[in-house]
Amino acid sequence: MGLVEFAAAKALASSAAFLFTTLLLMAAAKRISTCVVLFAVQCAVITAEILAIAYVQRSGEVLAVAILVLIVKVIAIPYALMWIVKDIKAAGEVQSSTTPAQSVFITAGLILLAFFAVQPYARSLRVDMNMLAAAIALLLTGAFLMVSRKKALMQVVGLLVLENGIFLAALITTFGMPLIIEIGIAFELLMGVLLMGIFVFRIRDTFEHLDVSKLRSLRG
Amino acid sequence: MAMTLLLPMLIPLLGTALVLLCRPARLATQVAVAVGVGELLAIANLVRNLHRAASGVLTSPYFRADHLTAFFLVNIAIVFALVLIYSIGYLRHIPEGRFSSPRWFYALLFLSLFTMVAVYLAGNLGLMWIFVEATTLATALLVGFYNTKGAVEAGWKYLIVCTVGIAFALFGTIALYLAAVRSGVPQEAALDWTTLMAAAPRFGGSADLVKVAFVFVTVGYGTKIGFVPMHSWLPDAHAEAPSPISAMLSGVLLNCAFYALLRFESITTRAIGSGFPHMLLLIFGGLSVIVAALLMVVQRDLKRLLAYSSIEHMGLIAIGVGLGSVLGLYGALLHAFNHSIAKCLLFFTAGNVRENFATLRMDKIHGMARSLPWTSGALVLGSLAIVGMPPFGLFISEFMILMASFGAGRYEIAILVLVSLSVVFGALLYHFQAMLGGEETTRPAHSGLLGTEFAVISMCVVSLLLLGLRVPNALTNLLHLAMGVLQ
Repeated sequence: MGLVEFAAAKALASSAAFLFTTLLLMAAAKRISTCVVLFAVQCAVITAEILAIAYVQRSGEVLAVAILVLIVKVIAIPYALMWIVKDIKAAGEVQSSTTPAQSVFITAGLILLAFFAVQPYARSLRVDMNMLAAAIALLLTGAFLMVSRKKALMQVVGLLVLENGIFLAALITTFGMPLIIEIGIAFELLMGVLLMGIFVFRIRDTFEHLDVSKLRSLRG
Repeated sequence: MAMTLLLPMLIPLLGTALVLLCRPARLATQVAVAVGVGELLAIANLVRNLHRAASGVLTSPYFRADHLTAFFLVNIAIVFALVLIYSIGYLRHIPEGRFSSPRWFYALLFLSLFTMVAVYLAGNLGLMWIFVEATTLATALLVGFYNTKGAVEAGWKYLIVCTVGIAFALFGTIALYLAAVRSGVPQEAALDWTTLMAAAPRFGGSADLVKVAFVFVTVGYGTKIGFVPMHSWLPDAHAEAPSPISAMLSGVLLNCAFYALLRFESITTRAIGSGFPHMLLLIFGGLSVIVAALLMVVQRDLKRLLAYSSIEHMGLIAIGVGLGSVLGLYGALLHAFNHSIAKCLLFFTAGNVRENFATLRMDKIHGMARSLPWTSGALVLGSLAIVGMPPFGLFISEFMILMASFGAGRYEIAILVLVSLSVVFGALLYHFQAMLGGEETTRPAHSGLLGTEFAVISMCVVSLLLLGLRVPNALTNLLHLAMGVLQ
C-alpha cells in the first residue's frame, strides 16, 4: 500500500472522531469566533473525507465537489462570519441558556443517540456506521445549538452545522449528488449566510442588541 | 423551443437588473409594468406551445414543463398581475430608504417571481429544492421591507424557520435519490422527475427509504406550505410584510411549495402505494384546518387573521389530495386556484385599511362601514368568498372536497372540515361586525380607493363570481390535463 492510499484510508477511518471532537468543543466554546473557527475545522475534515473518496473512486466530479467545499465552507463562509463578528463590535459571547458543562454533556448524549439511531440502517445501507452516526450527530447538535444559543449569529452557526450533517449523510450514502446540484446547494448556502448577515445587522440597528431570545413581540 | 421554456425565467431576472438601474420612482414603475407585461406574454406563449405539443411536455436540460406546470403557471401569472397593479398605487407612500425604495421593491418582487417560476419549471428534484430555498431568500427581504422592529423580527424568523425546514426537505430528496440509485437508476438521472416517475414501480426493494424520504419532504416543504405545527413563521411574515407581498406569499408562494410536495407525492404513490403518503397528508391537513380555525377566533390583527385562514385553506387542499380520489384532487387544485384569488382580494383590502387607519388591530377600528363603504364592501365580499359561500368559486371547490370525503367514506374528515368551516365563519362574523359596525372612533386618512386599487379589487370579485357560477372551460381542460400528469 502506497503512502497516498494509506493517507486516504486513515482520513476515512478517523474523520468521524475528528468531527465528534469539533462538536464537543463547539458545545464548550464561550466565544462566537471560536465556534466559527471550529466550524471551519469541521468543514476541513469533511473536505479531507471528500478528497479521500475522490481518490478511492478516481472521480473528477467528486474532486470538484471537494474544491467547492474548500472554497465555500472552509474559506468564504467562515471569513464572512468572522467579518460580521468583528464589525458588529458586540460582545462576542455565545450567551447560552445552558452552562458549557451542561452543553458538553447534552452533546455527548446526542452523539450516543446518533449511534443508537443509525445502528439498524448502517448495515442495510452498507456504509461505515461511525460516519453515518457522525452525520446524524452533526444534525442533532446543530439543532441543539440553534435552540440553546441566544445570539443571532450562533443560530446561523447552528444552521450551518445542521446542514453539514445533511451534506455528510448524502456524501457517505451516495458518494455525493450530481455536480450541478452540489454547486447549486453551495451557492444557495453562501447566499443564505450573506442574507442572514444582512438581517443580523438589521437586528442590531433596530433593536440595539443581538439577543434573539428577546425578539418576541409577535405572538399568537 | 428551449427559449420558450426559459423565457419566463429570464424575463424576471432581467427585470430585476433593469428596475435596479432606474432611480426615479416613476421610471421604475413604468419599467416594472413593461417587464410584467413581457412576463405574462412569455407565460402565455409557453402554455400555448405546451398545448400544441403532441407529447404535452416541453424539455430542455434540467428544465421541463408539463400540464401541471401550465396550470400553476397560469395561477402565478394571474396573481402576479394583480399584485403588480395593486403595488403601483400602494407604493406611493413608501419613503425613500436605503433598501426600501420602490425600485428595490420591484427588483425583489421580480427576483421572487423568477425563483417561483423556476420551481415550476425545474425538471430535476435537486434543482427544484434549490429554487424553493431561493424563494425563501428572495422573499425574506420583502418580508422585512418596512425595517420596523416587527418586520425585522418576522423576516429573521421566516429566514431561520424556513431554511431549517427546507434543509429537512433536502434530506428527504437525498433519501429518495438513494432509493433510486439502489434500484438501479443511473446516478446522473436519479433526480430527474420523468425518470423517477418511470422507475418508481421498481423502488419496492427500498420501500422504507422511500417512506423516510416522504416524511422528511412533507415536514420540509410542509414548513413552507404552513402545515401545523411547522407554521410559526407564517402569521408573522404575512402580517409584517407589505400587503401586496402578503397576497403574493399567500397566493403563490404556498402553492409553489405545495406543487413541490405534489411532485414527490406522485412518485411516492407510484413506488409504495397511496396508503402511507395520503395518510400523512390527511393528518397534516386535518391538524392545520382545525388548529388554524380555532386560532382565528382569538386573533386581533386583521392580517394575522387572514394568515391563519391561509393555513386553514392549505390544510383543506392537503385533505383534498390526501383523499386520493379524482374528485378530491380536482377539488384541491381548483381550490388552490380560487384561494389565491380570494386571498389577493382580502390582503389588498387589508392594505387599504392599514393605509387609512395606520393600524390593523381589529379591536381599535370601529364604524368602518360608514367611513370606508367601498373597502368595507370588498372586505365583506372577500370574507363571504373565503368561508365558501355561494356564489363564489371557493364554494364549488370546498363542496368537491367534501363530496370526495363522503364518497370515500371518510365521514370523520367531512365532519372535521364542516366543523372548522363553521368555526371560521363564526370567527369572521364576530371580528368583522365589531369592525364594520358601531360608532366611528378614528377618521380614515383619506376616503375610498385609488383607481388602480379599485380596479384590482373589482377584478378579484368578478373572477371569483365567474369561477363560482361556472368554472370556465379553459380552466376545466387545464385541470384535467394537469391531473393526467399526476396519475
